Amino acid sequence: MSAPPGYRETKLVDPFEIFMGPVYEKIENGERRFALVVDERHVNGRGILHGGMLMTFADCTLGAKAWDLTNNAACVTLNMQSQFLKPARAGDLVEVKPELVRRTRALLFLRGDFTVAGETIFTASSVWKLLGRD
Amino acid sequence: MSAHPALPADAVEAPASGFNRQVGPIYNLPDADEGRVKRFVFAVAEKHMNSAGSVHGGMLMGFMDVAMSRSARAVSGAPRCSTVSLSCDFAGPGRLGDVIEAHVRVVRTTRTMVFLMGELRVGERVLLTANGLWKIAGMKTEA
Repeated sequence: MSAPPGYRETKLVDPFEIFMGPVYEKIENGERRFALVVDERHVNGRGILHGGMLMTFADCTLGAKAWDLTNNAACVTLNMQSQFLKPARAGDLVEVKPELVRRTRALLFLRGDFTVAGETIFTASSVWKLLGRD
Repeated sequence: MSAHPALPADAVEAPASGFNRQVGPIYNLPDADEGRVKRFVFAVAEKHMNSAGSVHGGMLMGFMDVAMSRSARAVSGAPRCSTVSLSCDFAGPGRLGDVIEAHVRVVRTTRTMVFLMGELRVGERVLLTANGLWKIAGMKTEA
């Protein structure tokens, strides 16, 4: 599979992400924008992009943002709140540029708007814990 | 019947395609609490892991999404239900070889919506708690 125009393949390390990927990225104003090309492994029986795949893509990309913000510190997902606004289908390009909402010593508050052709189809908000910090 | 030796003997594999086949198999278990709790199970394999040696958060949320979707369809009788929102808290890590059960309780069903609460657990150890809101799709009253 070739990368969408302007994107290159993201180096993934988690076995589950490698199994479900690839994921693509490009740099915009010093920050990574990510993309997923929806294929048959990502959809449900009706051909609609599966919620589990969207949340996997969200965990992957918000986690990458957490790494970028902390110089690859060890961190874990504490929670994720997901809203499913509109269906996507095989062949669609889902894009997200994860955002930092607030950072404390021990926590990162992250969110992302996931779009297809500029229209938001899914949003996720997530709290991450930096391990070993009180 | 279950193929995995650690799975409960009453686990039944459901037909799957796409995402569910890719991450599965995800099995159905008999209801608990007089039908009020729907139960599902999967066995953690290498493909489900992250690089820190825990089950990937995306797999845990995906499993809960599948469990709640099947529960919403079961209680509503609707052929199609879609996830509107899902909130997941990660209480503890899953490990390679764990047999993870989803327990889903239907809180309320209206004509168009299903409200659900769920837990993922390995024995008594809770991995994830969740609240979900599902839309019953494909009903004739829909615009």
